[in-house]
Amino acid sequence: MSNNPTVSAVEWFKSAAGLTISLAVIAALAATIDRGPYILVNTVVTGGMLSLVAMGLALVFGVMNIPMFAHGEYFMIGTLVAYYVFTPMNGYIDQHTGTLAAALLPLVAIIVAGLAGGVMGVLTEKLVFSNLRKRSRENWVMNSFLLTVGLSVVLINLHQLIFGTEFKGIVGYWRGAPLSIMDVFISRDRCMAFVLAAVMVTAFWLFMTYTRTGRAIRAVSQDETGALIVGIDLNGILLLTMSMSCALAAFAGASLLFMYPSYPSVGLEPLYMAWFVVILAGLGNVLGAVVGAFIVALLKVLTVEYIGSGWEFVVPSVLIIIILIFKPSGIFGSEVRGILDK
Amino acid sequence: MLLEVKKIDAGYGFLQILRKVSLEIDKGEYVCLVGPNGAGKSTTLKTIAGLIKPMAGEILFEGHPITGLPGNKVARRGISYVSEEMNLFVNMTVQENLYMGAYTVRDKKLQKERLDFVYNLFPRLAERRGQLAGTMSGGERKMLAIGRGMMSSPTLMLVDEPSFGLAPQLTETVFDSLEILRNSGVTIMLVEQNVTKTLEVTDRGYVLENGRIQLAGKSSDLASDPHVRKVFLGV
Amino acid sequence: MEIANTAPQAGGLSGLLEKVCFTPAGLVGLAVLIVLPLIPPFNQEYLVRWLVQAAFIAALSVAFDFTAGYINIVNFGFCAIMGLGAYTSAILGLRTGLSPWVGIWTGAVTAAALGFVIGLITLRLRGIFAACLAWFFGLALMGLATKMVWLTRGPLGLRAPRLFETSSNVPYYYVILAMLLATYLVTRLLVKTKMGLAFQAIGQNMEAARTSGVNPVYYRIVNFTLSCALAGWLGGFYAHYYGILTPDMMHTSKTVEVLAVAYIGGRGSLWGGAVIAFPFIFAMELVRSSLSSLPGLNLIIYGLLLILVMIYYSGGFAEFYNQHFRKKEARA
Repeated sequence: MSNNPTVSAVEWFKSAAGLTISLAVIAALAATIDRGPYILVNTVVTGGMLSLVAMGLALVFGVMNIPMFAHGEYFMIGTLVAYYVFTPMNGYIDQHTGTLAAALLPLVAIIVAGLAGGVMGVLTEKLVFSNLRKRSRENWVMNSFLLTVGLSVVLINLHQLIFGTEFKGIVGYWRGAPLSIMDVFISRDRCMAFVLAAVMVTAFWLFMTYTRTGRAIRAVSQDETGALIVGIDLNGILLLTMSMSCALAAFAGASLLFMYPSYPSVGLEPLYMAWFVVILAGLGNVLGAVVGAFIVALLKVLTVEYIGSGWEFVVPSVLIIIILIFKPSGIFGSEVRGILDK
Repeated sequence: MLLEVKKIDAGYGFLQILRKVSLEIDKGEYVCLVGPNGAGKSTTLKTIAGLIKPMAGEILFEGHPITGLPGNKVARRGISYVSEEMNLFVNMTVQENLYMGAYTVRDKKLQKERLDFVYNLFPRLAERRGQLAGTMSGGERKMLAIGRGMMSSPTLMLVDEPSFGLAPQLTETVFDSLEILRNSGVTIMLVEQNVTKTLEVTDRGYVLENGRIQLAGKSSDLASDPHVRKVFLGV
Repeated sequence: MEIANTAPQAGGLSGLLEKVCFTPAGLVGLAVLIVLPLIPPFNQEYLVRWLVQAAFIAALSVAFDFTAGYINIVNFGFCAIMGLGAYTSAILGLRTGLSPWVGIWTGAVTAAALGFVIGLITLRLRGIFAACLAWFFGLALMGLATKMVWLTRGPLGLRAPRLFETSSNVPYYYVILAMLLATYLVTRLLVKTKMGLAFQAIGQNMEAARTSGVNPVYYRIVNFTLSCALAGWLGGFYAHYYGILTPDMMHTSKTVEVLAVAYIGGRGSLWGGAVIAFPFIFAMELVRSSLSSLPGLNLIIYGLLLILVMIYYSGGFAEFYNQHFRKKEARA
């Protein structure tokens, strides 16, 4: 280890993480100069919300060892709940624009949606995963993955069955003229989406670092047996983890309702993107997922800008495949042991 | 009796390893469990620690049954298990690991006291408090695992192969620290490969072979027992 | 259908059966499938169409299980690769006038080439990472099919020449049934050889396999390539049966459909998926057509089935059958 900051900074730049981040920053700046600051703004807003979804995904894999394929469905639940909570309030807000209530009611809808996601997470763990865990832990990763595939099919089609396939969207949460930042006009909803994401990421990070429970979660992700030995209630932590990560996804879905109207498979796109992030950053690496989210968001924004919309799955996935060939554990390394077959 | 293990059968899946293992430990004793590889020593400790559910039999701790309780509940009762694999939290620092050991201790002041106690015992850990557990040497990890086990002020410590893979000098340190621990009133159950040394330091011992308790008695008696001498000491 | 672990039987018919990988029950099943479109009520066109669909899913699930059940890698881009075969065959047919009968094979070759590449890239990765990588390949392929409008006409749909100039589904049924049989026989005969043992060893424990002298890289690539080739081949049939291709056919949800059938049928059995596909597709189609006021109900049922099977009966139908019927058979 070197104590010389210059040397360690150079080392960092030469590492995969350093290289990728520096390249991403350069690309973002170049594109911003070329096409205008809205590139940066779009990246930041998309990346913020994506980081919530990806963080949950990384958490569930890191702590519970479940490669969650149904994560997008909790995003969908978030949009759905927010829609049904917010729509009745709409009339009231229209009459009382500019009041404190009008500013707070959307928050209520988003928070309720997040809580609903948490409750769904609890149900999922109790009804599905705890049953599998009781019966067999053999071949766990694959079995749980297939379970989540089934779960995803069920949730998507339950939505279709009960609420139909039409788009359930809103015009916007917060009324008023768009804000002007760096000469770009951004709608209030987008600003708030970013602010909310930033608040959640920070709160989450503080929770994981400084609270007893947060440390217990990290402990479980690093060594399950070790966690049991020191007296951590494993089942409680697993339940909490699932619930939290689903709540994060639902919260993200609710905050983005103005962009993604609720329909059965609305969760697929965030799911793909979040998986890109998680694989890119290293499975189970929660903080890496936050940085990775911004990189993937940038990739998406740049692809749409320079190549055209519809390519946003092609270019990032090809790039990520290339990165994976050289760095299979992701650019920030994975906290999970044995990504490669040892 | 602090710990009573009554006729437990245990194993992994369909593979039964322990057959009617019974043992008792009194408060303040320093007891060892020795036996050849694969005899079921670690399985015995894991079963007591609640990491394996016994198929039959009963385990009493301080008079209360703890049979089949999950590991975390057993830990909360005051049994601390230091596993052979150590099960450290590799991406946490030494100090964080130690604090995790005191997870069940809610009192901040008590946590700090325990931390000072462990740092006192292993000054090496104090030097490395900011280092990630995963980047330490084998001996240091062992110390950390034992230190973490002490953090909860356990009544009973189950220590699995503390000297395994350690340099002789470090082995001494580990045995010394167990001695200090024992003098501070902690009951210890030790599983060791180093039979000579173990029988020297402990009060009593059990000999486990093929999942059965073959012999039990004072360590000094065991050390002179012809069977033990033949099987373990090669004399 | 197959006899895996029963004692060698004395010559004659059963010995022959053993060689072609069928049990008597399997043979009866096959015979039923052959005559089914001729007897009422199954001779109605819409039921024959269901039969074609079921046989198609059955064949895909066998090819899928060859990878998932043996080397334990879930090829999550399976239907995208199938789609690649379909598009290759259709485009060649349109641009060069290549006969669909030849086109199907070109589809298999392109799919095999991609399978080889994916196998090459994923060979170092653990199961779930390999699955993700295959998935990303699939997403990229679907994105390409959507955006390369000049070649694929994108979501508008690409018209492909059909295999037969008839509106009847019966000839198609016999073609796909033959393809199902071929897929089953090829994979079954392969897993019965030493190679099959190597596949299973890799699927269970890669490191143990490596130390015992099995080269995981080689076998993984062989397995993946063959499975993809079969997918592409079947994709060719899809193109020239439905006569229209949209990128939707490459969607992950289509892979999930195949995956569900393969796992409910029983992983590592090959025949489980093939057997379960027929009642399954019929049940799904029945639910869909009779309860059209409840859209998506059939998919909910299959999602739930997949969940229940994974939790309570991870060996699927094949395990169930082996436990409850196989013994009786052996005793008799």
